[in-house]
Amino acid sequence: MKNILAIGLIVLFASCQSKEEILYQQYVVEGRSIYEKNCSNCHQSDGSGLRDLYPPLAKTDLWKRVSQEQLVCIIKQGQKGNSQVNGKPYAGYMPANAKLEAIDMAELVTFMQDQWGNKKVYSFDEAKAALKNCR
Amino acid sequence: MQLKPIVLNVLFFVSFLIVSCQEKKTLPFLGPKETRVSAGKVDTIYHQIPAFRFLNQDSVWVSDQDMAGKIYIADFFFTSCPTICPKMKTQLLRIYDRYASNDAVRILSHSIDPAFDTPSVLNQYAKRLHVKAPRWNMLTGDKAAIYKLGEKSYMVTAQEDKNEAGGFVHSGAFILVDKNRHVRGIYDGTQEVEVNHLIEDIEILLQEK
Repeated sequence: MKNILAIGLIVLFASCQSKEEILYQQYVVEGRSIYEKNCSNCHQSDGSGLRDLYPPLAKTDLWKRVSQEQLVCIIKQGQKGNSQVNGKPYAGYMPANAKLEAIDMAELVTFMQDQWGNKKVYSFDEAKAALKNCR
Repeated sequence: MQLKPIVLNVLFFVSFLIVSCQEKKTLPFLGPKETRVSAGKVDTIYHQIPAFRFLNQDSVWVSDQDMAGKIYIADFFFTSCPTICPKMKTQLLRIYDRYASNDAVRILSHSIDPAFDTPSVLNQYAKRLHVKAPRWNMLTGDKAAIYKLGEKSYMVTAQEDKNEAGGFVHSGAFILVDKNRHVRGIYDGTQEVEVNHLIEDIEILLQEK
């Protein structure tokens, strides 16, 4: 009897989750696997970077300084020349991730924001618009 | 029940055998072997890394002579590699840090893009990783010589491929070489677990005379 009550409560709770909340969780899960595949080699799974060679993503000023639109374009096209993270210069370049499309970007940016920035969903429409406007 | 002294002795002997077998784990000799008969005796000639000479990140020549009496780990990479190299370097750093004060263990990272990876590029790369020669040499030189050494001697693939991200295919292997330049183990340098095995095997090699 107690069990049935518990299950009932869980079902009730789950159905209370808003559609946005479910979508957010989906994006985070998908985004994590995209991150592992395309980003973690250099930036590491925990976003800590690799010494002075590859910049960290966790605990950085990036999440305040770089807009989501800029971020999407950097990921898509890569980056050449010097960049700065937390005021520290990093040389070299970041390879392009030309294969990542709008849905991947939405999931990836949502995941990264969940981990290191504002816990906010980055929508498919926003990602699509950002990709269109990349220079 | 009382055990007879002889039974106890046998038990002791067997357990001694088991313990000594575990302690004496040895590593295989990898690569093609030759046998030579001289004066009625059969000698096995093990595969050996041939003489080599490349420039390192400090523009200093590094040759097989410098590795005499040293255990070393060889790998192939290039600094602009977008795929597995960063993973390999993360793992090599574990080895570098672990043996930072042991002069008997060295790392030789060969660039397979030597035209781009000049000594000064390698110097920047090494500095940013906080590593130094001679413990960790980043090597560059004649491309054909590096590729040949990689494929024929270290038994790994290394070649240009325009379809591959970064323009080169290469294996993520770490090759463990003993004091006499015999290959004693090959490991997947992108996998932490495999590199744990490599570290265990370095320990075994360090015990070898």
